[in-house]
Amino acid sequence: MVRVPAHERLELENGATLILLPRREVPLVACQVLLRGGAGGDPPGLPGVASLVAALLEKGAGRRDAYAFAEAVEGAGGSFTAAAAPEAVTVRSQFMARDQGLMLELLADALRTPRLAAEEFGHLRDRQIEFIKAVKDSEPAELLDAYGRALLFGRHPYGRAVHGSESSLAAITPVDVREYYRAQLGAERLLLVLAGDLDLRGAETAVRAAFSTWPRTPAPPPPLASPPAAPARRILLVDAPGATQSHFWIGAPGVDKRYPRRAALDLVNTLFGGRFTSLLNAELRIKSGLSYGARSGFVRGSAGGDFTIRSFVETPNTGQAIRLALQALERLRGEGVSSEMLESARAYTLGQYALGLETAADWAAALAEVEFFGLGARYIDDYPAELAAVDRDAARAVIAEAFPDPRDTVLVVIGDAGRIGAQLGGFGPMVRMRLTDAQFSLETAGDEAFP
Amino acid sequence: MKRTALARSAVYCPAEPAGREQVHARRLANGMQIIVWPVHHIPNVALNLWVRAGSRNERPGITGLAHFFEHMMFNGTRARAPGEFDRLMEAQGGANNAFTSDDVTVYEDWFPASALELVLALEADRVANLAFAPELIESERGVVASERRLRVEDNNHGLLAEQVQAAAFTTHPYRFPTIGWPDDIRAWRLEDLQRFHRTYYAPNNLTLTLAGDVDPDEALDLVRRYFEPIAAQAPPLPVAEREPPQLAERRVRMRRKVQTPLVQCAYKAPAAADERASAIHLLMSVLMEGDASRLHRALVEERRLAIEVGGHWQEGFDPGLLWVSLTLPQDADPDHALAVLDAQLARVIAQGVTQAELERARNLAMVGFWKRLATIDGKAHLLGEYAVFHDRWAALFDAPARLAAVSREELRATAATIFVASRRTVGILASSGATAGAGR
Repeated sequence: MVRVPAHERLELENGATLILLPRREVPLVACQVLLRGGAGGDPPGLPGVASLVAALLEKGAGRRDAYAFAEAVEGAGGSFTAAAAPEAVTVRSQFMARDQGLMLELLADALRTPRLAAEEFGHLRDRQIEFIKAVKDSEPAELLDAYGRALLFGRHPYGRAVHGSESSLAAITPVDVREYYRAQLGAERLLLVLAGDLDLRGAETAVRAAFSTWPRTPAPPPPLASPPAAPARRILLVDAPGATQSHFWIGAPGVDKRYPRRAALDLVNTLFGGRFTSLLNAELRIKSGLSYGARSGFVRGSAGGDFTIRSFVETPNTGQAIRLALQALERLRGEGVSSEMLESARAYTLGQYALGLETAADWAAALAEVEFFGLGARYIDDYPAELAAVDRDAARAVIAEAFPDPRDTVLVVIGDAGRIGAQLGGFGPMVRMRLTDAQFSLETAGDEAFP
Repeated sequence: MKRTALARSAVYCPAEPAGREQVHARRLANGMQIIVWPVHHIPNVALNLWVRAGSRNERPGITGLAHFFEHMMFNGTRARAPGEFDRLMEAQGGANNAFTSDDVTVYEDWFPASALELVLALEADRVANLAFAPELIESERGVVASERRLRVEDNNHGLLAEQVQAAAFTTHPYRFPTIGWPDDIRAWRLEDLQRFHRTYYAPNNLTLTLAGDVDPDEALDLVRRYFEPIAAQAPPLPVAEREPPQLAERRVRMRRKVQTPLVQCAYKAPAAADERASAIHLLMSVLMEGDASRLHRALVEERRLAIEVGGHWQEGFDPGLLWVSLTLPQDADPDHALAVLDAQLARVIAQGVTQAELERARNLAMVGFWKRLATIDGKAHLLGEYAVFHDRWAALFDAPARLAAVSREELRATAATIFVASRRTVGILASSGATAGAGR
């Protein structure tokens, strides 16, 4: 039975929240940090600032320059990765248990006294721009979310490319980075979970010492507005001349993290596009051999989220595959799921549940998520019982509430426009970009603030 | 216990991981090897079925067959219709996957302990009774072609690596791409599949590992019940081809519509079981693992000639390749980056590595090892890896001691034997110029 293990939760006077969870299968300690704000705190029209700030945290902090910081982490065999997410800046770190003091020292330095040096900033920014080009060259499917969310959410923070675009990154200056750090990183934003082979008392003393004197930020993050409703059907065709295959993404606004019927949602998505025998994979892979795989999923944030379907097919089959995917969604909405399907999804989801909560790092991430969204330990503990209670009525309800009418979806297709444009004509009004364009939407960087 | 904030792990102290005494290993009468590691922190089990067959066991005309087989193993048996394998496993809470390499094909299942018997029955069934429905062979050819487009044809790293690998070997079947040449994917016949299955999916060519919430005696009884009736076959013929020594550097130069050029250097390197294995791992870590590694520092941070440095050692049954790969920024000169890479490697050969670099690599390797041991999946996989490539599963428990024993001089000597220009194949993928200037 999966249950949240015993742990300790501390709130410091400066608003920081710290959670300590001892777990001793292996001599490692894992740390998960969330700092509220994330890419949501990027200046409007300038996505990528939070992402650069996160990356700069480990490029020199405290008494160490970038190289000395990397030396300190890797010299102990540790890892330290900071990144931006839509609503938080995250840091993940893992060290040998004997080095937990060093881990906390480095973490405190990175968060409290990063150097944010102009030289490191320039190099990181230029490199990030080149990374986007490299992804376009070899793994363009990685960019579907950036194109799709811009199309779906426009200027709402959920529409921003978290890691920036080539053009927005080029426009970011060291001043933007320092200003983001000043306004967005501080004690009351901090949620830190330490899990693993801990000495509980020693760890508590150390985290208090590391963070109790960190000041708060000047102001809390503004509450996130609800994302806009589904826009009318549109297709964004991103031209990749010479591509042998098309990557497609079908998206619609989804439900938020506190959606009450999440167990039913998970079961229905498992059946629709969440596992090998799903309806989608059956259509696009198992029955037709059109694609190596097709899947669907929900990303749920504090103010909303998205539902997406994604797959890839040989260029001449693009239209056919998109039609099959949309028909599968239509069928799910029309026919629902059978009791037998529901039983199978329930067994599958329950059977896989513990595998995602196996290591100290897994628990650190899970507890951080639960705390971040204010869900409580019951979110984890009650999940099996909630799964057990899902019946066909509950499944019907989530299908109606959360699985969009195919007509309310927007489409992104990355492929050889000259060969697929005509196949897409029947799906709705289409706009075109080139894969080499330096942004992810036709709206240019520098537009006014989101409403 | 708790060290002060300034304490550093300067001294490396190997600790043997616990568990060796808990592991149960048997060989069935038909030659199949079974290894069980009971651990009970979650109510689940990870199963690995290692088949000693990969693209190394192919010949011209049937390249990609081992990988295709991996796909066909999900497509029905004489006892169960196509799709039943996944349908039954998922309905009892199990998930599965598989992968194929130059050397092996590995089937993986993750499931609640209650599904153990079903999973063993399903695995034994597809080993003993695989069916080859012609219409499924055709449909699966399409799936593999899609996978090939994803990994090779529309992925520059995969495309260049395929050409480099084909040029690096003149004789040994390591020259074949595991996914297969497109004409072969379209051409192989039912008889090719049947022969391959009979030869390589014989129990005497398999190792099954289980890690997780099982009683070892009960698990072994169940394995015996389902697998022991499967008849042994004559052992597969050994791979006879020996790659002749490479006497001159080979170069592959491609031009494509790309923004970021690539450089790949593939050096001839020892087989997995070579006694220098730990030294090779540590050497690669010194050179390429993390922002403090030598090549990252020199090429990415200081000279800014690359945006990324990576590498891997193809650890197989036979001597293979050790890869060093660079992704360059737009308009960068691949030959210049290669020259700087060469100078760095020459420095390691001439001056060796520092003690701090060696300790850093050892610590990184130890954390990596513990991370794998933290999951039942990692345990099942490590048991299989050591049993198959090192002929001794228990050797995994000596990994920390082996890492501790490697000296700086061994790293230098290993670098000197591997990083020899005449024994490498260099691949360069440069822009054809069509998209220069970000398409503007």
